Amino acid sequence: MTDTGPALVSILRQGSQLIASIHTALDDTQMVRFQQDLVHQIGEHRARGVVIDVAALDVLDSFGSRTLRDIAEMARLRGAATVIVGIQPEVAFTMVTLGMDTGSVHTALDLEEGLAYLGGAGGQPSTAARARSAQRR
Amino acid sequence: MGATEVLEALPGPDEGPGVAALLPLVRRIVHARVQDKAAAEDLVQETLVRVLAAADRVEPGMLEPYAIVTARNVVASMWKERDRHRRNVHRVVDLVPVEAPDADLLREEERGAVAAALDRLSERERRTLLAHEVAGQDTRSLGSELGLSAGAVAAQLNRSRARLRVEYLLQLQDEEPPTGRCRPVLFALSLGDRRRQRELDAARHLLECVFCAGLSEPLLERSPDAGTVVTVRIEADPDIVAARRAARELAARIGFSRTDLTLVATAVSEIARNIVRFAGRGEVVVELLEQPRPGVRVTARDVGPGIADVERALADGYSTYHGLGLGLPGARRLMDEFAVVSEVDRGTTVTMTKWKKEGTA
Repeated sequence: MTDTGPALVSILRQGSQLIASIHTALDDTQMVRFQQDLVHQIGEHRARGVVIDVAALDVLDSFGSRTLRDIAEMARLRGAATVIVGIQPEVAFTMVTLGMDTGSVHTALDLEEGLAYLGGAGGQPSTAARARSAQRR
Repeated sequence: MGATEVLEALPGPDEGPGVAALLPLVRRIVHARVQDKAAAEDLVQETLVRVLAAADRVEPGMLEPYAIVTARNVVASMWKERDRHRRNVHRVVDLVPVEAPDADLLREEERGAVAAALDRLSERERRTLLAHEVAGQDTRSLGSELGLSAGAVAAQLNRSRARLRVEYLLQLQDEEPPTGRCRPVLFALSLGDRRRQRELDAARHLLECVFCAGLSEPLLERSPDAGTVVTVRIEADPDIVAARRAARELAARIGFSRTDLTLVATAVSEIARNIVRFAGRGEVVVELLEQPRPGVRVTARDVGPGIADVERALADGYSTYHGLGLGLPGARRLMDEFAVVSEVDRGTTVTMTKWKKEGTA
């Protein structure tokens, strides 16, 4: 990130996985830059899995949700599985009320669960999950 | 100012034919004695002025020596002057702060503006206001003179003051307001009359009229409802975050649940984004409501192209950019009440309200 001042997001590498944490509310421009950075780093680090921690976000509106969905899809095209962790209960409630369709994105309760998911799936979404999202279409 | 300007300003070249020719000579003499360029140039000018004044008294051939002597004298008197000043400087310490050179002018302008503003009031209004504010007459005795109750006099005084504030600001601006709506809108703002402001659609006028937007700031600063209303200007992406944060903070103050705070903040985010994407410029006003029950109302206005088909814009999945088409319909689902008024080429106003749920702390 080219920002000066406290980092808005951090992207850490652990083995073949990237852990991206969003630390504060991002505006649309920052969200798009985060997306670009992350997709770029997947290639750079030859990552097989990405965990995006959104626990610090108090709002996930249509743009934010869509950007996360796009990241997951782009990561998949780059050969990495993505799991979103830390969606707050109020945020989840709001996303459903808003009418967000995020069925294709894998989620887990927290970072630990997310890493376990990626580890268990070997960096690939489980067949069960794939079947689930296929059914929904 | 350069010496040449002085010479050019003099009448006719034949009045002092030799004087212009003396300039290099005088300059050489003065600059040889005085280091400071600006001071030297002042002395050159002074010398030339003196030579010019004496030109017709001096014999034709003697002008050059006269100039040389004058220049020396001028320099010498400056040194003397400085010396005396240095010796006496301790005596002139000013115990009273020196007034800025423009203070008088500003005071005069101020007085003029107040007088002109008073002139715009009606005779009766002016007399009542002055009797109360300057002579100190109370509202009761004013009321008995005018045949009004004390309360009615107070209300009238309040209106007069509001009008005076507007007229005063207009006078300082030294410009007539560009439209016929400006005065009534500014008056409603000055009076702090919310109903009148709504009737006049004052907020929209402020977005459209640059003149009033500037003048309204001092009027709004003294608004009594500063604690229950927050206005966020929307122009770029970061403003979206600022707007939703302001909405959340204000709603939190009257005890909205965390879930409802998130719903409101998300709805604000959606409509603020619409302003940035489609209109470019607008504002989001968040206000706390007490009647009929506690709640928060969000009004988003823009001066953009407007929405041609509001029905369609409210339908799910309608999107003119690569969004999810959830902006307006999504925000509507998040709030309790939702209304869109849009006029093509004038802009859009979205008003939405969330009521605080009974029994939530």
